[in-house]
Amino acid sequence: MSIEVSMHEDEFKAGRALGLDHRKLGVWLFLSSEIMFFGGLLAAFLHYKINNPSPAEHALLDVTLVGINTFILLVSSFTVVLGLDAIQHGNRRRLVLFLGLTMLLGAGFLAGQGNEFVTLYRHGMTLKSSVYGSSFFTLTGFHGLHVLIGILWAGLTLRKAAIGRYDDGRYTGVELFGLYWHFVDIVWIVLFTLIYLT
Amino acid sequence: MTVEAQIAQEKPNWRRYFTWNTDHKVIGVQYMVTTFFFFLIGGALAMLIRSELAQPGTDILNGVQYNRFLTNHGSVMIFLWIIPIWAGMGNYFIPLMIGARDMAFPKLNALSFWLIPPAGLIMLASFFVGAAESGWTAYVPLSVAAPFGQTLWAVSVILLGTSSIMGSINFVTTVLTMRAEGMGFWDLPLFVWSMLATALMVLVATPMLTAGLVLIAMDRLVGTLFFNVPAGGDPIFWQNVFWFYSHPAVYIMILPGMGIISEIFPVFSRKPIFGYKAIAFSSLAISILGLTVWAHHMFASGMNPALRVPYMITSMIIAVPTGVKIFSWLGTIWDGKLSFTTPMLFALGFISMFLIGGITGIFLASIPVDLHVHDSYFVVAHLHFVLFGGAVSAVYAGLYYWYPKVTGRMYNEKLGKTHFWLNFLGTNLTYLPMFVAGLLGMPRRVVDYAPEFASYNMLATIGAFLLGISTLPFLYNAIVSWVRGPKAGSNPWRALTLEWQTSSPPPEHNFEDTPVMTRWPYDYGESPLAEPGVAPAAGD
Amino acid sequence: MEATPKTSSGVRTYALVFTVLAVITILEILLSQPGVGVARQVLTPTFLMFSLAKAGLVAAFFMHLRSDTRFYTYVFLFPAALLLIFALLATVR
Repeated sequence: MSIEVSMHEDEFKAGRALGLDHRKLGVWLFLSSEIMFFGGLLAAFLHYKINNPSPAEHALLDVTLVGINTFILLVSSFTVVLGLDAIQHGNRRRLVLFLGLTMLLGAGFLAGQGNEFVTLYRHGMTLKSSVYGSSFFTLTGFHGLHVLIGILWAGLTLRKAAIGRYDDGRYTGVELFGLYWHFVDIVWIVLFTLIYLT
Repeated sequence: MTVEAQIAQEKPNWRRYFTWNTDHKVIGVQYMVTTFFFFLIGGALAMLIRSELAQPGTDILNGVQYNRFLTNHGSVMIFLWIIPIWAGMGNYFIPLMIGARDMAFPKLNALSFWLIPPAGLIMLASFFVGAAESGWTAYVPLSVAAPFGQTLWAVSVILLGTSSIMGSINFVTTVLTMRAEGMGFWDLPLFVWSMLATALMVLVATPMLTAGLVLIAMDRLVGTLFFNVPAGGDPIFWQNVFWFYSHPAVYIMILPGMGIISEIFPVFSRKPIFGYKAIAFSSLAISILGLTVWAHHMFASGMNPALRVPYMITSMIIAVPTGVKIFSWLGTIWDGKLSFTTPMLFALGFISMFLIGGITGIFLASIPVDLHVHDSYFVVAHLHFVLFGGAVSAVYAGLYYWYPKVTGRMYNEKLGKTHFWLNFLGTNLTYLPMFVAGLLGMPRRVVDYAPEFASYNMLATIGAFLLGISTLPFLYNAIVSWVRGPKAGSNPWRALTLEWQTSSPPPEHNFEDTPVMTRWPYDYGESPLAEPGVAPAAGD
Repeated sequence: MEATPKTSSGVRTYALVFTVLAVITILEILLSQPGVGVARQVLTPTFLMFSLAKAGLVAAFFMHLRSDTRFYTYVFLFPAALLLIFALLATVR
């Protein structure tokens, strides 16, 4: 018997009896840890926003631009599920198309965020200008990093799709990427509200 | 099995433990040996600390050096020894105990281990650039102003936390999705239950520490103002973030050990475990409750006084599920046919010493008591009774218990007993005097102290050296028995959990035939000729 | 061969959910413009509810929490609840 014998589906029978796919469960567990990580950074932001408000810096935030950015990220989540639906019906080409769109929209989001960051810096709001600045850039910066990682993951998924690794019977990998991407979107939904709207 | 395969299995090929290997049994041994190495380092740091404290005056170390040693003693013991050793034992034994071939994500598993050696080296390397000196608790603003080693410390702990989180994703997924046929949740060995409850805490608490460490690192490296007090930074916020993880962390450090005790008592009393479901539920209760009590470490910090009482209440409530376990264990050994093997001795020692540590914990949960003894040697005594008297005893119990399974050889029982008695004596001698010194007012984390505490410190230092010496028979036993010990056979303890129903050490894929659960793993003494429950899969 | 049941809500459902998300977002942008005469005390809870609704919709439909085993929902909600507790307790001065 070779060392690297692949695991047989049979090994995960107990999971399937509970309705669990082990890879999906793994990703959900990972996401629960990410909730807590972002939570720590978010708690820092809220702590200082409530106890050390900085109205002058808050007034510098461009709600409209970032609101449009939020919209772009929502569209990108939509393209992900459309891609998943496509491959669940065996349409590999459409999956590739929608994954590509997702990557573009993600890049667009990052460009918008970059624009916001540069504008704020020009107005004197920086990582070091105040605790508000420190927590704003750290929180949104880490979110942006997660979007970047998501774009890379989308690229890897796209490549796999392009070479035919997914079909209407094998698409869990696409679902897993989707879970991560939607999660990053949800984090932004919360961040947008707590940073920009309130 | 072919003769060649048998021979290959008999000679431990030590080389493969230094490579990337996705077999959970190899990874388990890698974890156990690596963490034990760090245990010895943490112990050496302790010896230096106790040498300094043997007498009043600063004889060997100055204040700065002392602070660096105590910081790294705590950090090494917590992050490089007691937390990852459980991951190592869980790694080796969870798949076996549930009848699986490996963990759910073998590559992630290997990665979890391989984060540890570099993280350990980074933490130790900090001694060359000015080691962290703010205690393992790294309170701000001191830790922000500290020398470069503090940054290395933060990086190291982030890596170790990541390893921990990856491990727990693997443990939960494995237990939920890979149990053998017929093994429902109420058939799981209690060690597995304890690892599940531990993994829950690791998953949700560790990332909070990561976030906090990121904030400290950003203040240090980039100049952010999170903990810059003149700019509005808040030291209490760090304490909240830190203890949100570090309190559950202490349950992470003890629960798997309690799981091992639940395995050992039935085997060496030849009786079923008393209160199986109660113990399983109590593990979950401790896990969930443990996530809500963190600020009892902050009673003296200047935190909002109105918030203190709720924490006191929840901290006292958490004694209840712990008590459930203690009474269940007593109920297990009561009237049993006891064999006082080394694992059993360590398990019994665990009960007495954890009890002392646990009850003094309840004292500390009371706000007025805590305000009197906070940051005194009373706390040092408490934490060492639960962590050393408790958790480390459980580690040793597990190492002796499972030694024959991992190595295929039996350890020397006389040396084991010698180790136990030296350890038991040493632990009590070292830490009991500290309770008194603390109550009398000796502060912790001090390189020098008032002469009135001298006798307690001398006793503690003698005890500490006894502990240092006690490790020698263990090391000798562990190494020599692996090479020359008598063959152990698959089930020297006549135990019923699945890891004993395969060879020692297990074959590469753990079981020759796919195991099927046919009897409860704690059916001891139910029928004299009862056979353990593994049947070949249907169709064989 | 995928053994898990097909988790797909269908394009129509996805499009409907997206439309709701888009409408809410546009409302948020409009309501946060300067000069809108709605009191802060009304706007803030409204925005918070909007964000919960959006997050919930993405989680339930795009992440298939509605159609999958409920266990994933618990895995998601437990840390969220814990985080809420932490945020409340840690931001109090």
